[in-house]
Amino acid sequence: MPKVLLIEDDRELGGQITTTLEGAGFEVTWWTEGKVPDPEGLDLVIVDLMLPGMYGLDILKALRAESDLPVLVLSARTDTSDKIRALKLGADDYLTKPFWPDELVERAKARLRRPFLARSEELEVGPLKVHLDDHRVTLHGRPLDLTPTERALLTALARRRGAAVTRGALVDALDAQHDGAERNLDVHISRLRKKLGDPALVETVWGVGYRLAVKSPA
Amino acid sequence: MRLLVRVAVVTAAVAAPMVLGLVALDALSRHRAAEVALAGIATDRMARPGARARCEADPEAWGAEVPRPTGPRASVERPPEPRTPPPGPRGAPPRFTPYTAALAPSRRGATNIAKLVQDDLRNAQWTPVDRDLLDAEVRVAVRMPWAEGPCAVILVEGSTTPGFLGAFLPASEVWLAPLVAVLLTVLIALVPVVRRLERLIAAVEASAAGGFVAPPEVAGHDEVAALSRAFTAASAEVGRQLAARDDRERALREFLSNTTHDVMLPLTVLMQHLAVARAGLEDDAPLRAPVVGAIDEAHYIAALIQNLSAVARLDVVEPRLELGPVDLNAVVDRVVARHRAMAVERGVELVSGVPEAPVLVDADLTFIEQAVSNVVYNAIHYNRVDGHVAVVLDRTSPGFLLRVLDDGPGIPGAELHRLVERGFRGNAARGRGTSGHGLGLHITHTVAKLHGFGLEFENRPEGGLQVSLHGPAAV
Repeated sequence: MPKVLLIEDDRELGGQITTTLEGAGFEVTWWTEGKVPDPEGLDLVIVDLMLPGMYGLDILKALRAESDLPVLVLSARTDTSDKIRALKLGADDYLTKPFWPDELVERAKARLRRPFLARSEELEVGPLKVHLDDHRVTLHGRPLDLTPTERALLTALARRRGAAVTRGALVDALDAQHDGAERNLDVHISRLRKKLGDPALVETVWGVGYRLAVKSPA
Repeated sequence: MRLLVRVAVVTAAVAAPMVLGLVALDALSRHRAAEVALAGIATDRMARPGARARCEADPEAWGAEVPRPTGPRASVERPPEPRTPPPGPRGAPPRFTPYTAALAPSRRGATNIAKLVQDDLRNAQWTPVDRDLLDAEVRVAVRMPWAEGPCAVILVEGSTTPGFLGAFLPASEVWLAPLVAVLLTVLIALVPVVRRLERLIAAVEASAAGGFVAPPEVAGHDEVAALSRAFTAASAEVGRQLAARDDRERALREFLSNTTHDVMLPLTVLMQHLAVARAGLEDDAPLRAPVVGAIDEAHYIAALIQNLSAVARLDVVEPRLELGPVDLNAVVDRVVARHRAMAVERGVELVSGVPEAPVLVDADLTFIEQAVSNVVYNAIHYNRVDGHVAVVLDRTSPGFLLRVLDDGPGIPGAELHRLVERGFRGNAARGRGTSGHGLGLHITHTVAKLHGFGLEFENRPEGGLQVSLHGPAAV
């Protein structure tokens, strides 16, 4: 269970956030006063800017001096300068009040998500494995016979697993194979789906493009 | 026209006719004086003892050179005293030609002057023969006291050639020198005045460019200095007015900032309560409709407050952008996260796609996020159950292209260009929401313009609206 330290002086809002985060599977410690936390054992700090005791940006500064623990800043100010200062001091993200509980949970989870190692030599998405070194693609361990264009498409999708890849970005990937006409994109995707054996593995995302399903289809 | 050139032209325009007039008047006076003098000379000559007899004895030969006039004679009209001829070349001596009383020439080959002078000579002792008074040649017909014989009328011819006769102007053109000198003096005297005026203009322009903080001062005690003091007083007043305006704007901004700040916290608490209330309600619970309605209004109030804050910063004479590198991928993520709950509640699928590497632009973070947020809010708000909204960010060769697509009702073609007008409400389908006050898209438009980004609205062929924001990447 990820451990979150919340530093928020408003008792009503602090209580609500604690409840929301606990409901979303976080273990929450809540402080109502500004002071520098010990990063040991913490996964995320959510800190308000206006705090009694110590200003939120000062806490961030002190924390950054010794740790790269993810920090999400809460702000009720609409000035750009506060956000820029927070980001410059090393905040990972900020959330402007007013916000919905779901918004906070989504931002918190995004901060805990480990950065996807797209540079690794092997991309693994569900049953799919894309070997970047020798351009091999396997599905459930069996090698797939793909054209260079299909392999480029699959690699572009696998690099962003779980995220929708825009048609523009996919066409750019086709460009590298000298096959960059947008009207060809759907044809290639259709062929790729057939070769993968399960059309649901490559999802169409309305208005955006395509996405490689993270979960293995049943 | 430049002041100095204008003065030179005006001076020349005034001086030229003046000089011409003087020359003409001088020529006229010379002519008149010559006429009177020649008449006197003829009368004098004939009044000498034996003169008449010599003339009548041999009118053909009579008329040789005579001495210069020595003075007036009582027998003729006294001419004005001719000025002493200056040394130098002199005019030819007068020539005499005798005529009978009936004006018949008494010498062969002499000019017939009868028609020219007979009427005038009947009433006067002498008369000029020619009417061209500016001509240097002068001819006068003089009637003698007798009426018989070949020498009853004497035609005397002379000229106004310099030296012989003169009027008020010196014979030499040296008199023009003082006039030219005066004109040049006027122009030269004007040069420093014009220079001072130019200095004053530069000072006023510099003062205006600096917001009338530094007074446009030009030292001295003349009218230019007085004008500069008047400008200084005026610029001080302008400065005071500007400062007062700035103070009012600052006070208003602070008030808005404080008010919105004070509202943000309770509104956040309210939104958490509403979300909890909504989560605890079954879809068929009687309280579901009012809670969902309250959530909708909370969305609206939250967007409105954000927009009011933006307007407080944008609605100034010179909106100040706090520019810095902005990660558009993160902006899209935040805007989508912000509107996810609203989209879910309305049954609208909200999706997004961004490039793998962050797209960085030089922008004001708050403004750009609010600009995108307003477009996404509208796309969800005016959509239908099972509708879609996609936020798509692509890298382009000059920079970025951020599109917000929906499959909602779209906008009538005639209203598309009016979407960004402040206060534009559009058709009934889009009557409420942040654009219900005509603020949302107007802010988006203003923000795009301030950043130099392009913003286009178009109806999609498949139905729905596409809003495109595009601009250069951060350098």
